[in-house]
Amino acid sequence: MSAARPLILALLLCWAQLVLTTSARADVAVPPLTGRVVDLTGTLSSSDIAAQSARLQDLQRRKGSQIAVLIVPTTEPETIEQFSIRAAETWKIGRKKIDDGALLVVAKNDRKLRIEVGYGLEGALTDVTARRIIDETIVPRFKSGDFSGGIAAGITRMIGVIDGEPLPVPAPEVSHESNDLLLSFLNPLNPFTLFFVFAVGAISRGLLGRLIGSVVTGGVMGALAWYALGSIGIAALAGAVVSAITFFADSLSAANQNYQRSHRGSGGWSSGSSSGWSGGGGWSSGGSSSSDSGFSGGGGSFGGGGASGSW
Amino acid sequence: MRKFLTVLATLATLSLTNCGYNAIQTNDEQVKANWSEVVNQYQRRSDLVPNLVNSVKGFAQQEKDVLLGVTNARAKVGSIQATPEVLNDPAAFQKFQQAQGELSSALSRLLVVTENYPTLKSDALFRDLMSQLEGTENRITVARNRYIKSVQDYNVGIRTFPNNLTAMVFGYKEKPNFTVDNEKAISTAPKVDFNATPTPTPAPAK
Repeated sequence: MSAARPLILALLLCWAQLVLTTSARADVAVPPLTGRVVDLTGTLSSSDIAAQSARLQDLQRRKGSQIAVLIVPTTEPETIEQFSIRAAETWKIGRKKIDDGALLVVAKNDRKLRIEVGYGLEGALTDVTARRIIDETIVPRFKSGDFSGGIAAGITRMIGVIDGEPLPVPAPEVSHESNDLLLSFLNPLNPFTLFFVFAVGAISRGLLGRLIGSVVTGGVMGALAWYALGSIGIAALAGAVVSAITFFADSLSAANQNYQRSHRGSGGWSSGSSSGWSGGGGWSSGGSSSSDSGFSGGGGSFGGGGASGSW
Repeated sequence: MRKFLTVLATLATLSLTNCGYNAIQTNDEQVKANWSEVVNQYQRRSDLVPNLVNSVKGFAQQEKDVLLGVTNARAKVGSIQATPEVLNDPAAFQKFQQAQGELSSALSRLLVVTENYPTLKSDALFRDLMSQLEGTENRITVARNRYIKSVQDYNVGIRTFPNNLTAMVFGYKEKPNFTVDNEKAISTAPKVDFNATPTPTPAPAK
């Protein structure tokens, strides 16, 4: 009976969390990042959007930093600061680790706007600079109803500021990051990998017998390698090496102490597969073909820097 | 027998992982990192205060009480250590929050006073300082939000079922979060408004 109490507590907590997340306030949803200029109000003509997008794309090619523009009717019930940090966190504009993104948010019916600045640009596009761009350049044009002109002039000044900032040169090609964790796991020098292979090998050999067990272990590792590297040849090699190690690990250790067995087994794995790993250096070239047509955030992060204004 | 021991050791290690030991470590570090960001931004605000006081002093020398209040509140903030150990001591956390809240309300009193000095409000240096203060207040909000979320993750993590046993064994306690009382003390953020028609500012707390 007393053992059931923590279980019930856990269930209640899960339930409470479910209620909390589902009953969250109905905030304005952040629209999908369809391009560098996202206009939900139909204020800008399609030629305006194309022209600004081209300039922003050119900036990214030259300097690597990303700027996006978002025009929404309203951000109620949130303030524009809350909405724009949410949009920035969702879109992840700017390069990862460099965080050189900036976002210009306009809430047309609220008559408010904000420049949200990524960490990496806070030194150049400071709060003061952002406020001046808003007050001196954008707001006067917005007041006279010239939205496309205000946005274009604001972008011009933002680009000017970023151009004066030394940033790391843009990488010619984007390597895929999604498999980073799996790749590090597959690195044969990773001690957890060694342990994992050895443990899986021991278990499956114990359960299934030596032959089938070693084949299964090799197959599992081979499948993981295939998924991460996208190369059947290297995956097959890794699988075969693991199979062989698992198959022979027992007989190798039969004459030895229990303690030494793990050493022998792991040594065999790292030497046997490091060649396969270095051969796998080709994965980046065979990897994702970077498409420039679809725009997506590079993983930059924001901390609430920037300035707001109203007209 | 040897085989059995190997399997047992494997299972023990895997179950330690499954019982959330690693997750607790990850969440714990995340809380610490987010706390450092909160402190970092509060520090940034403290650093702005002397410049702000000086620029106001030039235009509104007779507001000695208000200026002195801000200076004293800032000195109090500066005297409190905000190391990550604060997170394991609810009383120290409370003290830190209270000091920051006092600085917030002192700043808001100062900003109410500045409404009476048009020349000050149109001063370029003062406006730059105001936009920096405004940006810093926003950064504090963002940092606090992230801290709140990471504490939620951490606390849910150590209170849910298999992990709570691990947390109990290794002595991980719940972390304090920004409570409603603290929110009330701090929610009087400095109001920055340069409109021609100044909105009625809320009466300063206390």
